[in-house]
Amino acid sequence: VETLAVFSLASQKASWLATRETTIASNVANANTPGYSAQDVAPFSSVLSHLQLSMATTAPDHIQPESPSGLKTKVKPSDSWDVVYSGNSVNVEQEMLKAGEVGNAHALDVGVVRSFHQMLMNAVKT
Amino acid sequence: MSLDPLVSSLRIAGSGMQTQSSRLRVVAENIANAQSTGASAGSDPYARKTITFESALDRASGENLVQVKSVGVDTTPFRIEHMPGNPAADEKGDVKMPNVDLLFEMEDMREANRSYEANLQVVKQSRQMLTETIDLLRS
Repeated sequence: VETLAVFSLASQKASWLATRETTIASNVANANTPGYSAQDVAPFSSVLSHLQLSMATTAPDHIQPESPSGLKTKVKPSDSWDVVYSGNSVNVEQEMLKAGEVGNAHALDVGVVRSFHQMLMNAVKT
Repeated sequence: MSLDPLVSSLRIAGSGMQTQSSRLRVVAENIANAQSTGASAGSDPYARKTITFESALDRASGENLVQVKSVGVDTTPFRIEHMPGNPAADEKGDVKMPNVDLLFEMEDMREANRSYEANLQVVKQSRQMLTETIDLLRS
């Protein structure tokens, strides 16, 4: 079904957003740790371009490949706004800004899923 | 990651709040003992305490938690005040006062408060994201 692609995409986006939220949480928690450098996840567009079709296991000897979602989001040192003398590169304001972005994107994601779900249910009920 | 990332965020932010509370406790000790001299003549007064954090990787879940690395002692020299009647005064009448500077402590307290609030904000946001996802089932 064509619409189901939307659900899988939305699910991947939600998982990417959750990973990003975790990264923000560790940045904020380590905001006063000497030598800690701020991290961020790879942008979702690059995650999306790496997605490939999953391989089918047609014989019992085949090894099941790991699921592509979640693994593609790697954490890298982000370009932070400032680095303080102790070597810590977390800027709390920047993290709050990123957290706001994540919150908005998640609300949008959930809204899209809800509206598509509603459309499907309308089609089923009539 | 074994746990759901949003639940991990809650745990990480919790560890951040815990360490910032420990920091606030050290600040409280320092301020409370800002005037604590030694008991006997010429003895050392209360020495200011310092706290350092370190990043701790929880290998089971891959979470970047934070924890208290050590609570140390500030080695700046003590202030000397001339108070001949004080029980802690030496033969010249000098009393060693603690090396606590209230301005430093106030600044430290504000920064701990700010970091604590930032962690709290992350907790609120993660909870909201979880709630939004769960509310999908409700429509």
